[in-house]
Amino acid sequence: MTCHEMDGVISLRSGTSGFPPEAAKHVAGCERCRRLVRVLDQRPEGLTPSPGRLKQIQTAMVEDLRPVRPLAPARVFLFAFVIVFLTVVAVGYLRIGADGWGALRASQKIVVFATLATAAALLAVSMVRQMVPGSKHTVSPTLLPVGILVLLMIVMAVIFQSREESAFVSNGLMCLRSGLAYAIPGTFLFWLLLRRGAILSPRLVGTTAGAFAGLIGLTVLEVHCPNLNRYHILVWHLGVILISALGGLAFGAAVEYIGQSRTNRIR
Amino acid sequence: MPTDDGGAMPSSPDLEQLMMRYQKADPDASAVLVELLSPQLYRFFASQMGSRADAEDMLQDAWLRIHRVRHTYRPCEPVLPWVYAIARCVRVDSYRKRHRIASRELAADVLPEHPAPRDEPCDLPAFDELVAELPQSQREVLTLLKVNGLSIEEVARATSSTVGAVKQKAHRAYERLRTLLQHMPVAQQARRGATQ
Repeated sequence: MTCHEMDGVISLRSGTSGFPPEAAKHVAGCERCRRLVRVLDQRPEGLTPSPGRLKQIQTAMVEDLRPVRPLAPARVFLFAFVIVFLTVVAVGYLRIGADGWGALRASQKIVVFATLATAAALLAVSMVRQMVPGSKHTVSPTLLPVGILVLLMIVMAVIFQSREESAFVSNGLMCLRSGLAYAIPGTFLFWLLLRRGAILSPRLVGTTAGAFAGLIGLTVLEVHCPNLNRYHILVWHLGVILISALGGLAFGAAVEYIGQSRTNRIR
Repeated sequence: MPTDDGGAMPSSPDLEQLMMRYQKADPDASAVLVELLSPQLYRFFASQMGSRADAEDMLQDAWLRIHRVRHTYRPCEPVLPWVYAIARCVRVDSYRKRHRIASRELAADVLPEHPAPRDEPCDLPAFDELVAELPQSQREVLTLLKVNGLSIEEVARATSSTVGAVKQKAHRAYERLRTLLQHMPVAQQARRGATQ
């Protein structure tokens, strides 16, 4: 057994219980691991909260004790997020049309919309899990919005080609405005759902919700915009996700700041 | 899970039952939960912040927040990751707040308390002293694993991370501690010499 393998055994060991024979043999023969185990086995002494403070906490909790109904199951919120996503995209389709859908080749439609659906599913699951503290995450919620943006950039860069475009900025600004017009109400609706849970990190939740709402804007644009220039899509369509996620981050930071100021005032 | 008084923590189903009773506004269940979980939560805060007064304030904040979001606990889910995720958030908020205040003030009025020296002579440094040398993310994982007795999966849940990321942080922390321990006797001797 190596020191590296020993790390796994140390992490799995509870309290000061013994090691399996092979690990015990390694500890006996390895000075570095022996010293580490001795330090980790030290039990903290004399560190307990004062009884007065505990009584104060118990009294405060009992004074404000009312029955609460546990949060609805995760699938209910997942369904709600998907419904909001599809509804806003449908409104976008009805209002500004689907010229982009007709301009896309079949293979492009499959790749673009399969990627958008996957990204939407991952973000929706992440948001649902962020509503409940201590949820299990298969992908780090901090890395997910960045990972999705990078994935979309790679997919768009690969399946679209660069073309001549005379009014790159003015066309782009129109798309950006259209995308954000659907992303902003999306963020607001997502926030209403998220508020039912525990928002422990408003910045992270804001960024995820903003990225998810940006995905609504991007989907509306992919359905609507017939401009298939790679750079137009990379800058102006994906720019909707970036701006929306940054907006969510700023909103989350503001919520956090207001929350902390309120807590300080109560004290 | 280890406790300060040497007693054993109740099994997970017991805590789940208590949480469900707490959600139904049972005052006894809330009092028992505070008594059972507070020593470990306090230890979690004290290990990472160094000051006992701050740890008590954070403990109170944590329970206030737990009370406010108690509806988000879903029956049959593990209680400890839920509680520690909230506690971790309180610690991060408190750290940010203190950092903001410290950046505005020229001098601190109160110095952070250091862990009390142990009575028994030992050639090894105290756990707290050594862990204080680690980066915050590794210190947090190690505290949750070795002080609070959470499993790797529970730590992953409490820190909104993945099991792989927790294992990696723990491995890096152990490696760093091994290196520190190799050089520690020299440093300790130098420190003893300086105090004499």
